[in-house]
Amino acid sequence: MSIIRYIIRRLIYLIPLFFGILIIVFVASRVAGDPVQLMTVQNPRITAEAKQNLREYYGLDQPLYYQFFIFLAQLFQGNLGNSYSLRGGTAVTTLIGDYAWLTFELQLSALFLSLLIAIPIGILSAKKQYSKLDMSVTTTSLIGTCIPVFYMGIIAIIIFGYFLGWFPAGGAHSILAERYPFGSYIIDELWHMVLPTAVLTFATLAPVVLLVRSSMLEVLRQDYILAARASGLSERTVIYKHALRNALIPVVTYIGLYFGSMLAGAPITETIFNWPGVGRLFVEATTKLDFPVIMGVTFFITIMTLIANLITDITYGYIDPRIRLE
Amino acid sequence: MKRKKSTKSELYNRNEKKRSKGVSQWNIAWRRFKKNKAALAGALIIGFVLFLAAFDALIAPYPPNDLPGFYQGETRVPPSTKYLFGTDYVGHDVFSQVVYGARSALYVGFGAAALAMSLAVLVGLVSGYYGGLVDNILMRITEIFLVIPFLLILLVFLKVITAVAPSGVGGLSIVAIMIGLFSWAPNARIIRGEVLRVKESEFIEASKSLGASKRRILFRHIFPNVLHTIIVLTTLMIATAILVEAAVSFLGFGDANAITWGQQLQKANEAVKEAWWEGVFPGLFITLLVLGFSLLGNGLRDALDPRLRE
Repeated sequence: MSIIRYIIRRLIYLIPLFFGILIIVFVASRVAGDPVQLMTVQNPRITAEAKQNLREYYGLDQPLYYQFFIFLAQLFQGNLGNSYSLRGGTAVTTLIGDYAWLTFELQLSALFLSLLIAIPIGILSAKKQYSKLDMSVTTTSLIGTCIPVFYMGIIAIIIFGYFLGWFPAGGAHSILAERYPFGSYIIDELWHMVLPTAVLTFATLAPVVLLVRSSMLEVLRQDYILAARASGLSERTVIYKHALRNALIPVVTYIGLYFGSMLAGAPITETIFNWPGVGRLFVEATTKLDFPVIMGVTFFITIMTLIANLITDITYGYIDPRIRLE
Repeated sequence: MKRKKSTKSELYNRNEKKRSKGVSQWNIAWRRFKKNKAALAGALIIGFVLFLAAFDALIAPYPPNDLPGFYQGETRVPPSTKYLFGTDYVGHDVFSQVVYGARSALYVGFGAAALAMSLAVLVGLVSGYYGGLVDNILMRITEIFLVIPFLLILLVFLKVITAVAPSGVGGLSIVAIMIGLFSWAPNARIIRGEVLRVKESEFIEASKSLGASKRRILFRHIFPNVLHTIIVLTTLMIATAILVEAAVSFLGFGDANAITWGQQLQKANEAVKEAWWEGVFPGLFITLLVLGFSLLGNGLRDALDPRLRE
């Protein structure tokens, strides 16, 4: 029962956060004034009348607070408005729906893979602190956190895409259906996913390894570990049964944050690999100052981040019963 | 005369000896820092890039934005002794451009970190020390900034500002300010935590009972005790700001008139197939500089944190 109350409490907690972010996004899109003025700045032939028509069409002639409430009202009806420029004014929800899956596919598989690899490496490194293995793991991870992900991407494309020619360098699908490996659409997509996923995995891997290692070291110093060892338990039991669960608590809290920052970083990863996801949609919309799409994607990513945080909180409460009682 | 002088210098020497016996906290930190090879390497890298930025016009063989390759029909030639890092598709000497990029990277790094850390220190100190309602409000705002998709908002702001600003306005300063405005939140939270920790210690209680004012306690007692955390966070913040600036420029939202490493990578990304050298070298410098600040930051943490002292 207490876990349900805990979830409800967290949900209530997220509401002001949600509105605060919406306001910032709205301000961001209006900070420079009239969107129509911005959109038409490179079009000297447009008449004042045409501009006024545009404003009325998009409801931009109304006062700002009114526009915000209209936006909110529409939002709760699941309507994010229509794009100014993309695909002849398609609904933003349709656009996001078309691109979101590819983004999730990439980000989630990278997150999953990096956790799968990072946790055992981090544990091993902590177990053999100051050994050669530990030194090389920490050094590699530290360097890994310093390489910009787009640089990593470019290097991977140069080496594996062009010099070795093992994987396609960009896009999510081959242009011609005849080029699909084994004639399968799904295998073609997986084939295109290899490079971006590998790069993204490596980029996420490095900080997680360092986190797992330091948190494991912290736990191994605790008295109850000493007690477990003193009572003659095998090293394996001590590490995996006693230490791991507590060592993973900070890691779990970071997963939500990582997922959020990965989603927010989608414009970068998707630009390098020409991956048709929401990140590239966002870059395209921002270049064209297409505010409904900008608002829509930001809103979407924020919601996803908040959900990830909520799931994190719940998991957190599950792993560590002390949290729930707070 | 002579005798008097010698006694004076004797006295002076004695004082000097006495003074050198007491070792300050900074002395201890410096001694520990000196032993840390990784941190020294980081400082060396930063020093190297600072040197490049300071003497860029002397080091770079060609003036900024010059097109030596274009004039001589040597566009997109691979690295050679003439063009150390090759030339790009319009004929820029990549090495010269990389050298000029150092200044932009450091400018944005220091500028954004200065702004972000000022905000973070302000919020962290006030929130941690005063507590109560002020703390509550400030922390809710901080949380918003923690969850917000920072890169997305940054791109929108930059695009909008460059769209409305008359030409000449904007540029790297705007990029630095925007990065600073949106990246203080995690640091504010850490500083607040440190303030809370220090606030509970006995010496604060002691100065309170001696009748010290709130302001005095905050600036003379708490601030110096969280200073080491602030220094470490600032160093790491510089690294983050450099990374973010590179990302923004890479996506084409940076200052189009400045020479930046991110922008060079963006141009290179359009032609990785033909010319690997266009992207490999600028990216290497971003990585190096960020690594430098990270190593320095970690080294400072180990040297300055009294709890890590063995």
